[in-house]
Amino acid sequence: MSAAILTDVTKCIGCAECVNACKTANNQAIDIPRRWQQSDGLSAKNWTSILSTEDGHFIRKQCRHCLEPACAAACPVGALHKTPEGAVIYNSSICLGCRYCIMSCPYGIPRYDWQQPVPYVRKCILCYPRLQEGRQPACTEACPTGATIFGDRDELLKEAHLRLQQNPGKYILRVWGEREIGGSSVLYISDVDLSILSYNREFEEKAIPENAAPAMISVPFVFLGMGALMTGLHLFTLRKNRIEKEKRAGEGRANE
Amino acid sequence: MNRVRNFKAVLWGITGLAAAVAVTRFWFGLGSVTNLSDATPWGLWIGFDVVSGVALAAGGFVITAVVYILKRKEFYPIVRPAVLTAFLGYLAVIVGLIFDLGLPWNIWQPLFHWQYHSALFEVAMCVMFYTMVLFLEFVPIPLDEAGILIKVRNFLVKLRLPLVILGIMLSTLHQSSLGSLFLLTNYRLHPLWYTPILPILFFISAMGLGLMMVTFESLLTSYLYRRQAEIHLLSKLGKTASLVLAIYLILRFGDLALAGKLRLLVSGDWESYLFMAEVLITFIIPLVLLSLPAMRNSLKGLWACSLMVVIGTVFNRVNVSGFAMQSTVGYYLPSWTEVVISAGVVAAAALAFLFILEKCTIWECRPIDPESALEIIPHFDRFSDTSLGEPTVAGKVKFSLIFIIMAAAGFTLLSGSKVRSEGVVPSPVERARGGDTLFIDGNRNYYGVIFNHSKHKIDNGGDSSCVLCHHMNLPFDKNSPCYICHSDMYLQADALKHDWHASPAGGKLACVDCHLSGRERTALTAKKCQECHKDIFPPGAAITVAEYQAVSYTDAMHGLCIDCHKVKAVEMEGKANICRCPSCHKPGNTPSAALAEGVKSFHSKLNWVVLPAPGKQ
Repeated sequence: MSAAILTDVTKCIGCAECVNACKTANNQAIDIPRRWQQSDGLSAKNWTSILSTEDGHFIRKQCRHCLEPACAAACPVGALHKTPEGAVIYNSSICLGCRYCIMSCPYGIPRYDWQQPVPYVRKCILCYPRLQEGRQPACTEACPTGATIFGDRDELLKEAHLRLQQNPGKYILRVWGEREIGGSSVLYISDVDLSILSYNREFEEKAIPENAAPAMISVPFVFLGMGALMTGLHLFTLRKNRIEKEKRAGEGRANE
Repeated sequence: MNRVRNFKAVLWGITGLAAAVAVTRFWFGLGSVTNLSDATPWGLWIGFDVVSGVALAAGGFVITAVVYILKRKEFYPIVRPAVLTAFLGYLAVIVGLIFDLGLPWNIWQPLFHWQYHSALFEVAMCVMFYTMVLFLEFVPIPLDEAGILIKVRNFLVKLRLPLVILGIMLSTLHQSSLGSLFLLTNYRLHPLWYTPILPILFFISAMGLGLMMVTFESLLTSYLYRRQAEIHLLSKLGKTASLVLAIYLILRFGDLALAGKLRLLVSGDWESYLFMAEVLITFIIPLVLLSLPAMRNSLKGLWACSLMVVIGTVFNRVNVSGFAMQSTVGYYLPSWTEVVISAGVVAAAALAFLFILEKCTIWECRPIDPESALEIIPHFDRFSDTSLGEPTVAGKVKFSLIFIIMAAAGFTLLSGSKVRSEGVVPSPVERARGGDTLFIDGNRNYYGVIFNHSKHKIDNGGDSSCVLCHHMNLPFDKNSPCYICHSDMYLQADALKHDWHASPAGGKLACVDCHLSGRERTALTAKKCQECHKDIFPPGAAITVAEYQAVSYTDAMHGLCIDCHKVKAVEMEGKANICRCPSCHKPGNTPSAALAEGVKSFHSKLNWVVLPAPGKQ
């Protein structure tokens, strides 16, 4: 099974029970505004947040657990990786702190412990320890209205399309996270546009790691090719110099 | 030799200042000395120290290729400086990384966790191996005159050709992989810079930069040691560099044209000007100048071109990794401490370069070491008018003094509260507004709560309920406002006002008035407030004050309200929601329509994001 979360924006009442449950489940204290935080409420201690709109919509922001995560493709040691269960999790013991994951995330999710002398990358881990125990994430368990639910990705996709069909005109006909940039394990259906959850650009369907794949595949060929080229050049100039020398010697003899 | 000595003095000063910043960075974390944020996690230290630093050290592989592979023996005089620059350059990159990485003690982890798909893994491995290769290429130089190790030297000289080829292979990989790093940021990097051929562009510009960096460093050291620069060689390098720059320009503009991005050049936004400035300084002007024989054969022309290419390519790298990166909010400018660390790493590398230049045979003849030149008459330092000891050590004494003074200056500058604030900006609280219906909004951002005082009083039992909330007053006051003691939104505040009590305005109390003699003078052993101020605690107050540190305003308000609301949510029928955030922080929860605009601007600024009205799709 591939763990997934479906959030129905029309059902969210903004009670922030998911935020509180997340803090309790992951032992994160209350955070206060700091200089380096962004305006979306996520921080090293807030792994999920509720964005509110002036017309009364509430949109939960959290890690999307992409099917082909850019952060995991970026990580030079595999500290961030996608588990078979579907969660993108973090191994703090091998992390270098290079922050390439924060750079590469198209949704701008991972956050950093800037104030700590020993800082770690922080983001939602889909309550991976709870998943292993066979329980659902704390946020979906705490939701009082069923706005955010947990389940298998294929079944949740079916459920999302069912809701879109059964309520004509209620939703925008789209499941966010189904296909864009390779798809994600956290899905949304909504009656407002959700581009606010990313860098405000429309995503293509091509997964982000695929952009770097051609360059990375050609690495061994470039490496060996360059070696062969240089060795060849060396032998060539060696031969050229020898011929020139012999020629000069020949001319010298001829002059004598 | 004053040029060298003054130059070294400046370098030691910068290193001293950087040492102070370095200590602070490791003690208080990255946030204390950088302007990095969750929106711009990479800044000057990655853009300059690493991405540019590796490119600046590219001279090593280019010149060794020219001398040992293409066998252009006339360039032999500059091969040793080039190898030394590259070796020290890579060491500087690694030192720079140690400051930038959050967990630098894990820097070796890529050796044991291979990630073929990560460009950064690629770069990390290549930099490690290439630094070793450069070390082996460099080692024969100091061993020139070594008696015992001559066998090691001869062995390494025999190995030189394979080492050079391996060095070129590794350099090709990581110079281009530095460009591959940004292939993952296709939704953040501006389209004028983002292209699938970024790795190729990075590799070619690194070659151009490598050639011009060797030129620059040769010109600079020749100037410092009053020596004739090898202009005939440097102009040949310049000619080659102009060819490389031309190829680069064709590729870059060709790619833009093929991708249909040329119209972005005239879009008139900030990035288009940035792009034009970068391309002009780095590539077009030097290309034109270098293709003129009169310019590339003159000292001034070479100075100008090499400076432009060096500064410009660094500019290009910083643009790709910073300025052209679009983030959701905010902008990034490096803090002075970031600049100091970058400058300090370069200064330390330059000092090492000059040291090795003076001790080993980098040039055909060793420059005269200004300190070893014995001056028979002891002299006084020109600035301080003091004797710096024996002439042989005077230089070292001076450099040490400058280092220590600058480090001390650094610590002084860093002693401010910003370093220790953990990123929390002080936000003083102002008085709640309104009469019986209060608008509680301590930091005036209009994201507050409307509090109906009389309703709460009646619901909780009339006059007897006052002490449920009111727990402490100023002397001679009956109901002091909360913000007097809880004076910061997010930080604990001093409610005692210790120094004020010692001042004339506060009664000019002596120490022993509160700290009774014979005891240790601490807050715990001092007299309690109520021993002098009999009336500051209302009788029967539900909240007791243990120490005189007032918690933050938000903690005070939330603690007071939510605890009670949680109890009421259980006790009262149909009020289960009153302990949840939106029951008090209602959207549009403002006393007047005029303030609604304030709520909106606050939402967009700080904690919550306001979306535009639902779009029709």
